[in-house]
Amino acid sequence: MKTQRRPFFGLFATPGVLVALLFAGAMVMVLQFSVRLQIPGSLDVGGFTFRNFTAMLHPLYARVFLDTLWLCVLTAVFSLVLGYPLAYALVRSRRVAVKSAILIITVTPLFLGEVVRTYSWVVVLGNNGFINSLLLDFQVIAQPLRILFTLTGVTIVLVHVTLPVVTIMLAAAIAHIDTAYEKAAESLGARPVRVFFTVTLPLSGPGIVAGLATAFAWTFSAFATPQLIGGGKVNMISNLVYQLGFGNFNFPFAASLSVAGLALTFASIAVLRLALRPLEKVGP
Amino acid sequence: MAQPRSGRLLFWCGRLVVVAVLGFMILPAVVVGIAAFNAKALLSFPPQQLSLRWFVNVFTYEDFQVGFRNGLLVTVAASSIALVTGAAFAFVLDRYTFNAKRVVEGLLLAPLVVPHFTVGLGFLILAAQIDMSRGYGVVILAHVVLVLPFVLRSVQISLSNLNPKLELAAASLGARPGRVLLTVTAPLLLPGLFSGWLFAAILSFNEFTASLFVTSQQTQTLPVAMYNYVREYADPTMAALSVLYIVATATLLAVANRYLGLGKVLNVEHTR
Amino acid sequence: MSSIPVDAETKVGAAPDLAAAARAQDLAVRLDGVTKRFGNTVALNDAWLQVRRGEFLTLLGPSGCGKTTMLNLVAGFLFPDNGEVFIDGALVTDVPTYEREIGIVFQNYALFPHMTVASNVGYGLKARGVAQREIAERVTEILAMMKLAGLEDRKPGQLSGGQQQRVALARALVIRPKVLLLDEPFSALDKNLRSAMQIEVKEIQRKLGVTTIFVTHDQSEALSLSDRIAVVSEGKIRQIGTPQEIYRRPANRFIASFIGEVSVLRARLERIEKSEAVVQVGAASITVPAGPLAGQSPGITVDLFVRPEQLCLASGDVALEGQVATTVYQGDHVDLYIDAPAAASTRILMRLPSHDRVPGAGATIGLAIGGHDATAFPAVES
Ligand SMILES: Nc1ncnc2c1ncn2[C@@H]1O[C@H](COP(=O)(O)OP(=O)(O)OP(=O)(O)O)[C@@H](O)[C@H]1O
Ligand SMILES: [Mg+2]
Repeated sequence: MKTQRRPFFGLFATPGVLVALLFAGAMVMVLQFSVRLQIPGSLDVGGFTFRNFTAMLHPLYARVFLDTLWLCVLTAVFSLVLGYPLAYALVRSRRVAVKSAILIITVTPLFLGEVVRTYSWVVVLGNNGFINSLLLDFQVIAQPLRILFTLTGVTIVLVHVTLPVVTIMLAAAIAHIDTAYEKAAESLGARPVRVFFTVTLPLSGPGIVAGLATAFAWTFSAFATPQLIGGGKVNMISNLVYQLGFGNFNFPFAASLSVAGLALTFASIAVLRLALRPLEKVGP
Repeated sequence: MAQPRSGRLLFWCGRLVVVAVLGFMILPAVVVGIAAFNAKALLSFPPQQLSLRWFVNVFTYEDFQVGFRNGLLVTVAASSIALVTGAAFAFVLDRYTFNAKRVVEGLLLAPLVVPHFTVGLGFLILAAQIDMSRGYGVVILAHVVLVLPFVLRSVQISLSNLNPKLELAAASLGARPGRVLLTVTAPLLLPGLFSGWLFAAILSFNEFTASLFVTSQQTQTLPVAMYNYVREYADPTMAALSVLYIVATATLLAVANRYLGLGKVLNVEHTR
Repeated sequence: MSSIPVDAETKVGAAPDLAAAARAQDLAVRLDGVTKRFGNTVALNDAWLQVRRGEFLTLLGPSGCGKTTMLNLVAGFLFPDNGEVFIDGALVTDVPTYEREIGIVFQNYALFPHMTVASNVGYGLKARGVAQREIAERVTEILAMMKLAGLEDRKPGQLSGGQQQRVALARALVIRPKVLLLDEPFSALDKNLRSAMQIEVKEIQRKLGVTTIFVTHDQSEALSLSDRIAVVSEGKIRQIGTPQEIYRRPANRFIASFIGEVSVLRARLERIEKSEAVVQVGAASITVPAGPLAGQSPGITVDLFVRPEQLCLASGDVALEGQVATTVYQGDHVDLYIDAPAAASTRILMRLPSHDRVPGAGATIGLAIGGHDATAFPAVES
């Protein structure tokens, strides 16, 4: 008798494989639509073409690509800078209440969804919004500041959207640093600042890289934020894809933009990882 | 122990930064909370008069009611499918090697980096190509794909924390694989399973971008209904709904933190 | 049972003769030429082992020699690449763990953290479909025997290390296993508790008469607990015998130096008579077993392995003269490290009772070799 050494294998693996195939199918659809001709006014598509990709070179679209990239970079960097102290406090704080408070405040927005969060910021940043009312009331300014519909406004909200996930990833990295390293550095006479910059920060390198990459990808995926905060003045690829699909019913072009966007995301993350190779390699 | 002055200064500066960042995180929630109780339709700070009329609006606006029901349906279906699929596959990934293991794992985790609008577009085209009507099916499947990585990761973390000797001990005591799974493995994975499911459910209920692509007027979920509302009206009804959202989510997470230890689930607890 | 190396013994055991068949009835566990590889590592290389019913057999060897692998093969957690495994005379090579009727105690006990002590102990009985009432009775009985009465409703996290160990033992024993497997069960305990638990485990094993395979790399533990010891190195069993046989008649240089403390002296082979050989060290003649020197001609240089307690201070016909390098006070005795370049290339260790007058460092002393427990092996080029 040969023993069955893989109990449950088939039963447990099948659903996962089916879902993977489903996802692969959806992505293949996007791919194959991206090289098809549009039939105006129809969801069906025509023959094979590369025209969708050459059309993207138009300055109008190139501008959106550049804006998207720039917003991703800004958001990733700001999320990192703001997220690190938060993550550090979350992991190293001794009081459970403080830990829980930071955790809940950080994690809740992660689950609120883009619409609620973006809408809240409209209320904060709008012409009649919180900040402008406050500044006008105290007569700091005479005219409402225009924050909505600007790159700055979109960046602020995007940072708010990606900050939680970056913080969580950084916290995971910091949590796995053996405090013995820091104690060793201290015992050798290093002051807290030096310990932080020579031990803690380098050892959290892998978390920093992962956090940056995730922030980049998430920002790229944002739709409601640039749509509502950018208000058509600041556009990202996602807005363009939606506009082309549901405004012009040009699904092939929407698909090719998605493909280009995906390629851009992966390329950017690869470049980022390559550039930060030394950071990632650190540690035991 | 007395700290040197520079150390203490650093300590307080660090505190200040943390408090400032936390302030940034909760600012919109606070502002929306104030706006939601404002009696006037036009946003103004501070509110002149308080009122609950926007909350009443939330519950009487039909699109929100429909969106809520649809969202609940999609969430329950998608998170349950994702839970079963993800937990089972995490088990398989933990225990077995097989051809294309990395490929399948990669495909299942890819939605973490593939933009939601691309996933949404893909499912929209897929549904159209196989002549599937834009019903609940495609919405649920898109959500399963999007939330599955969270279940997978959560269960994987629990599995890696599971002492394999426990299962060996059970087997040595005469328990067959099925019994080991039910009496040892599953109970010990329960927190991971539950938190994975909870994450999946919350994320599915709030998923917006992909839903915007794959839902129709009949199947639109609450976030889609909210988005449409914001584009059409400027009154604080959305603020009231946001408050309900924030309170519900924060409460759920606080409860989860109390009973599951979110820190452990998110892997941010000190391990050494 | 003589102390012949197991390689020789198994040549006999492997032959299909009637005596072997009869003896097989008494064997609780048998490994026949078992090989197990992990990638390029050969963890077990054609290992043969026979464990008698009711005996306490210890697998002793350095880290990484394959002890745990051997235990896992008996348990059915691993399956051999070659060879066969028998339990109670039945071929179980491909039988899964849950059908093998074994009990195992792991190093960190692996108690189910989500179950009470009673549920942990009753787990195996429940898996066998034993009636609730009988489960309750047998659990109560074994817990009483293990001095765990009253702790039924605790969770493992609420127990001390020693209690956890007892629960693990109770859980393994309550199913009346055909063989009890212990993989370094004491190494997580502190020193005092460890000796107490060792005595307790040994007593319970006697009382129940359960065949036990015990894994350790702690030689003193092996010497004090075992009925027989199997010395393992590099995936093979090198010698099997009672603790006395292993200690006094090691089969090879590795075993001689692995078990107990030993000093190596240069000696000259004088003659071989039947089972005994005589070697010359300084002015002294020492009798050693002939086995390891078989086929050697008189006059050659041999390495004489002596235990510290075999050396004593002497004048006159001394085996060697040396100078005390260091003395180390150990409470009941004193360890002396002696430089004797003429007789040994490394320091020689001897032991004196601490109430004796002990020569100080720098003193020149003469040593004699007492008893009959020294062993000699052909010298190796260094
Ligand atoms: N699952 C495995 N995969 C790869 N190699 C393994 C595995 N298990 C054991 N080995 C290797 O097989 C050899 C024997 O290992 P084993 O665990 O049996 O040693 P051991 O005698 O129990 O050592 P220790 O006293 O340290 O526990 C070692 O070289 C080990 O590295
Ligand atoms: Mg071992």
